[in-house]
Amino acid sequence: MKKKVLTVDDSRTIRNMLLVTLNNAGFETIQAEDGVEGLEVLEEANPDVIVTDINMPRLDGFGFIEGVRRNEKYRAIPILVLTTESDAEKKNRARQAGATGWIVKPFDPTKLIDAIERVTA
Amino acid sequence: MDMNEIKEIFFQECEEQLAELESGLLRLNDGDRDPETVNAVFRAVHSIKGGAGAFGLDDLVSFAHVFETTLDCVRSNRLEPTQDVLKVMLKSADVLADLTNVARDGGSVDQARSKQLIRELEALANGEAPPAAEAPAAKAPAAKAPAPKAAAPAPAPVPNEEGFVPVTFSFDDFGGEEEEVIMVAPTYEISFKPKSDLYSKGNEAALLLRDLSRLGEMSIHCNMDALPSLEQMDPEAAYFSWKISITSDKGEDAIRAVFEFAEWDCELEITTAEDTSAEAGEELPMQPVPFDLSILDEEPAGPIGIAEEEEQIAAAAVSAAEVASNVVQIASAASRAPAETKAAAAPAAAAAQNTAQAASAAGQTIRVDLDRVDRLINLVGELVINQAMLSQSVIENDANGTSSINMGLEELQQLTREIQDSVMAIRAQPVKPVFQRMARTVREIADITGKSVRLITEGENTEVDKTVIDKLAEPLTHMIRNAVDHGLEMPEKRIAQGKNPEGTVRLTAKHRSGRIVIELADDGAGINREKVRQKAIDNDLIAADANLSDEEIDNLIFHAGFSTADKVSDLSGRGVGMDVVKRSIQALGGRINISSKPGQGSVFTMSLPLTLAVLDGMVVTVAGQTLVVPLTAIVETLQPEASAIHSFGASQRLISIRNSFCPLVDVGRILNFRATQANPVEGVALLVESEGGGQRALMVDAIQGQRQVVIKSLEANYTHVPGIAAATILGDGRVALILDVDAVVSASRGQPLKPEISLAAAG
Amino acid sequence: MAAKKAAPKKLSLAPVLDLNEAQALHGKLMGLRGSGVVIDASAVERVGTLCVQVLMAGAKSWEADSQAFTFSKVSDAFAKTTQLIGVNIDHLMAKEI
Repeated sequence: MKKKVLTVDDSRTIRNMLLVTLNNAGFETIQAEDGVEGLEVLEEANPDVIVTDINMPRLDGFGFIEGVRRNEKYRAIPILVLTTESDAEKKNRARQAGATGWIVKPFDPTKLIDAIERVTA
Repeated sequence: MDMNEIKEIFFQECEEQLAELESGLLRLNDGDRDPETVNAVFRAVHSIKGGAGAFGLDDLVSFAHVFETTLDCVRSNRLEPTQDVLKVMLKSADVLADLTNVARDGGSVDQARSKQLIRELEALANGEAPPAAEAPAAKAPAAKAPAPKAAAPAPAPVPNEEGFVPVTFSFDDFGGEEEEVIMVAPTYEISFKPKSDLYSKGNEAALLLRDLSRLGEMSIHCNMDALPSLEQMDPEAAYFSWKISITSDKGEDAIRAVFEFAEWDCELEITTAEDTSAEAGEELPMQPVPFDLSILDEEPAGPIGIAEEEEQIAAAAVSAAEVASNVVQIASAASRAPAETKAAAAPAAAAAQNTAQAASAAGQTIRVDLDRVDRLINLVGELVINQAMLSQSVIENDANGTSSINMGLEELQQLTREIQDSVMAIRAQPVKPVFQRMARTVREIADITGKSVRLITEGENTEVDKTVIDKLAEPLTHMIRNAVDHGLEMPEKRIAQGKNPEGTVRLTAKHRSGRIVIELADDGAGINREKVRQKAIDNDLIAADANLSDEEIDNLIFHAGFSTADKVSDLSGRGVGMDVVKRSIQALGGRINISSKPGQGSVFTMSLPLTLAVLDGMVVTVAGQTLVVPLTAIVETLQPEASAIHSFGASQRLISIRNSFCPLVDVGRILNFRATQANPVEGVALLVESEGGGQRALMVDAIQGQRQVVIKSLEANYTHVPGIAAATILGDGRVALILDVDAVVSASRGQPLKPEISLAAAG
Repeated sequence: MAAKKAAPKKLSLAPVLDLNEAQALHGKLMGLRGSGVVIDASAVERVGTLCVQVLMAGAKSWEADSQAFTFSKVSDAFAKTTQLIGVNIDHLMAKEI
């Protein structure tokens, strides 16, 4: 069975890069454009891992992560933060919100897949 | 989909982000202090930076980074977005747009300008701008934090290069994998004690240990001493801790990297075996861990591992259909978003509004090759003609046709019309992008002229055919330049006249009776009629004693080669005058006129067809020829009575309509369809409004009816004919010419129809 | 005692024993206190540390009660994960006769 990845990012460019990278690596990819949509598709997507941006309209990555962690059914899903924010403060906030790990953009396909492998069984 | 296609998407997205950036900055400039506006602006730059980084567009990345840093100061209330600050930011947005264009199309940017702006942005981020009054002193040191470090000492010319090093975590240590020559691998003793948070954040000790086991030969001891009884335990708390011994040549960094995500949520100690006495491990029963616990990672299609980088993206062919179906799926998911969103979040009204905006922006869209749309439009045009011909032949062959056929034909006509409207709507686009470009034009020219200008745009979402939009930018740019350069006064002069030193240029778009009307108004000095008149006399455009209305004088500026600027400025001069603007607008089947009030400013009004493909026309007969007169030009039709016709001069005639006189124009004569004047009483007069605002009565022999016609370009199929805008094919298969009303009217004023005057070139 | 005579109860573990399952598993075990238990881990595809902790705490409590706490069958995944994290369950495996 293919592993399912939910990606949440408002940039069409990044969404496409994620889609191609993940599909090529044999993952099933579900995509959302912001935190609100990410939470909405959670049930339907039932992902094994989530990759999310931080800066997004409507609901940013911090809010989205908190939303997932509050969800009884999906709170155990590993969440990787995908962002250009490389400073420790942002990482820390993401961790406090419940992020499992992070990937710094611009991402290298290998590193992305690697990070996903690290947090999924 | 390959990297090039994604890159194309990136540039498309850049355009959207740049538009978003500019409109956000303009809103801030107007005093909007909604945090979401600042966020949106920040995100736009951030997003461009992110994508640019992925494609290695370093210039774009480094400029965007500095810009983003400064925006972050605004976002976190460390920098007040004053007008001065926003001026720098708007210029930076322009440079960002230039850099994006260069990244896509090649060429070069004004290095000096972008360097200058980088310095200005950094200065702002370093708090060198007028500090916000309410910012407490305590915040000051923090304000410097996000600025690129190297920027602090001023002299460094390219500080951002240093400051921005994307911190990617390094996996290079993994890179070599097994094949390397194995030196004597050191043994590490690791003590790993997770906290409960490690699990609640989705990390898993077992997975960390799995990754660790891949680094070398490992044995492990699990310490369960902390484990309470079942009754007392919290099932989600961390009780186990581990002592691990691993022999690996990958180095301590590689080991630490395994725990990178976990380091906040565990106690971790790593020592090399030499540091500790060898006996340390002896007390604990260590369990050897096999190198490959394949069961734990058999799930995905094989770990893609550490392989050949980008080729994986680019090469491996994901079927386009697969990607496409995913995209569609996403789009439909997005469309569901709006409804629940509002309930979920955003208590503040402003936020709710933003939500609505975001939701509408996320509407379902597909991208279609323009050629396909045009082909469809062409075919529908043929369908319309075909349908008209069918109707006609049914009527001709069966005068009292059965009602069912007639009803069917009517329905067919209705359907055809609807299909046509729907197809046209595909090409319809909001004028927003053009309007946004104008904002930049205004900024640039304001800078050069030293005038202070505010551009207000309204009706940006008014839609019109894409062709019209594309062709609108140039004349509009020229007019805006004119308005700022010639229209608005210098600030001192404005103050002297009791005006706001800041001039206003208002650009509006709206739909009016099946056309789009674009207005450009300035609050400058207005047309200097004396000067215009004198110039026209000097240039032999009018007689010295000509009696012209104010309106007629104003419209003189549209004459070829007319320019009132005392010296040709390098801006709006450029050797083109308003006549070129007028011709461009006419070429789009549009009209333009001006109204001006001395001391209060001028208003240019352009009226353009919504589409260049079809036209509602009145089909008339002139000297045995069938002509189509655009319905939009016709005010009314009337049957002249002999008593209403008044002759004056050699061949001029007037018709009196409700106590006013209107020149009568014999279309057959003007177009040289006949040698002598027709008798007005035997024909029909079409009262038309020409772009100068004056009315004329066009004489035609008879009216055949009213219908929508598909425009076929004469230039494309034959050659340009003076006085004729285009051609069409009627229901009976005959070709009919579409009259260029404005050309005919000006010909009637004594200006012969010259072939070089480009008339409407539709189609 | 009566407890000794009670037939061991059977507990089949869910395929995914993650963070969410830890609480549930804890509850199930609590409900089985007082009698011997035979655990069937043959369907387990994924098991996290938290659930192993719960099972080991169970093993401890059952041992204190001198009740049987055994695994009848374990899946490969279950066996390998416990081995990986250094938890030895050999002594809890049902002795085949």
